[in-house]
Amino acid sequence: MSVFLSSLGFGIISAAVLAIATVGFTMQFAVTNVLNLAYGSVMINSAFVTYFLNIHGHLNAWVALIGGVATGSVASYLLNRFIYTPFQRRNLAPITIVIVALGVDLCGTFGLQAIVGGSYFSYRQSLGREWHFLGMYFSTLQLTIIAIALGVMLAVAWLLRYTRLGKAMRATSANPNLARNSGVRTQWVISTTWLISGALAGLAGTVFAMNTGVFEATSAQLYIVLLLAAMFLGGPGEPYGAMLGAATIGIATELSAAFINPQYKMVIAFLILLGMLTFRPYGLFGSERTA
Amino acid sequence: MASQVSAGYDGRAIVHGIDVEANPGRVVSIVGPNGSGKSTLLKSLVGVVPILGGAVSVGGTDITNLPPEKIATMGVGYVPQVDDVFPPLTVKENLEIGGYLLARHQVHERIGAVLEFFPRLKRMMTRKAGKLSGGERKMLAMGRVLMLSPSVLVLDEPTANLAPLVATQLLEEYIRGFADAGSTVLLVEQRAKAALRISDWTLVLGGGRVVLSGRPDDLADNPVFVESFLGGGAHL
Repeated sequence: MSVFLSSLGFGIISAAVLAIATVGFTMQFAVTNVLNLAYGSVMINSAFVTYFLNIHGHLNAWVALIGGVATGSVASYLLNRFIYTPFQRRNLAPITIVIVALGVDLCGTFGLQAIVGGSYFSYRQSLGREWHFLGMYFSTLQLTIIAIALGVMLAVAWLLRYTRLGKAMRATSANPNLARNSGVRTQWVISTTWLISGALAGLAGTVFAMNTGVFEATSAQLYIVLLLAAMFLGGPGEPYGAMLGAATIGIATELSAAFINPQYKMVIAFLILLGMLTFRPYGLFGSERTA
Repeated sequence: MASQVSAGYDGRAIVHGIDVEANPGRVVSIVGPNGSGKSTLLKSLVGVVPILGGAVSVGGTDITNLPPEKIATMGVGYVPQVDDVFPPLTVKENLEIGGYLLARHQVHERIGAVLEFFPRLKRMMTRKAGKLSGGERKMLAMGRVLMLSPSVLVLDEPTANLAPLVATQLLEEYIRGFADAGSTVLLVEQRAKAALRISDWTLVLGGGRVVLSGRPDDLADNPVFVESFLGGGAHL
């Protein structure tokens, strides 16, 4: 029982980090129609900017995180502006963009490794005191990450449901031509979506690195499997589904690590992804239109 | 409004040298067989398909090849034949997107005005547009464009897939009503007889060109037109 509860605790934290990342990832896909497989690369590069500001800039890790968030945001915007959009304008097959994204991911990850080397890094940051809840153990750092994730979920839900920008994002996602005919400047909406989802990638990358304690340039390379599994579980392009998908995948992978083998975490996520693609490709929240 | 317009995809014209003149308070209908270029013509007027030759203006302002979002700011409302609403958004959110260019307080005012025009929508404000019936959906699509009080309404087969009674109500009550209220209506319609009943002027397209045009009563006297579009019944 104690193993189950402590694994559940780990699962909740993993789910919190994954939820931040998946919401940004699925928002990007929904509004821009780009399956940005370089998302993990943006995450880890942002985490390293936070590291640089924390260690070499002597900033508190939470203050340095702002630099990581800004990096994710700007990098994603530039990625779209100078790489994805020119390819999209050529009306190539969707698989072309996926291959381009894969290339960007490899360049981003191994380019970073070429700069920082193969060493392990960690932030100068305290974990804080330990808290016990229902047999689960959390550090103050982990509780802060969970609180940030909940805050992000509420903020994204509020953005999409109650703001003019959020409604324009959903309209652009549903029918970009009709949105334009209604006066929505969809290019501006898409650029803003890249800035916001990129900021979430930067935030996710930094809290991912904080949570793992030590990280390297390739730490987020397989994270895309978790992102895809969480996104397809909730429904491609469905931010609310992404939150549920992230919670399920985060907890399922940590429980499987405890009861089966930690090496199989990604395999479990991949099996869930395959299962969803086979039986319900539009996910729990999506409709057949989104598949 | 449109002068010698040629338009198409990838640099290849599908419609050639078409003139359309429409004034406030009038319904101009465009009829013709499938593939005659009716929808392409409308799409070119609202910026969705590039214009390869000629010019389009609204109220004396040239709008040729302006992007759709810019044309929307000039008082041109467009209801496409399909994909005319945002299915995952609620009825209220669809109307709000229709009023995207308005200030927030104006949006609420305009929603009230649109609901007076389409009172049936009042009961379904929180329902997702994708869950509406064909007729309700078309009312919402019309309501969405009415949010900006457009001076020109461009409607592409608004009665497609609607039951005959609903289609007649839509054409005679609402669409004719828009024109009577002072809007210019440009209408592509498959139901030629019904379209002629509410029109002030009609263009007949064939092979991407205007093959006939005139007042509905005059067209109803044209044996070629009657044979091709009115199924042998000349009474409007």
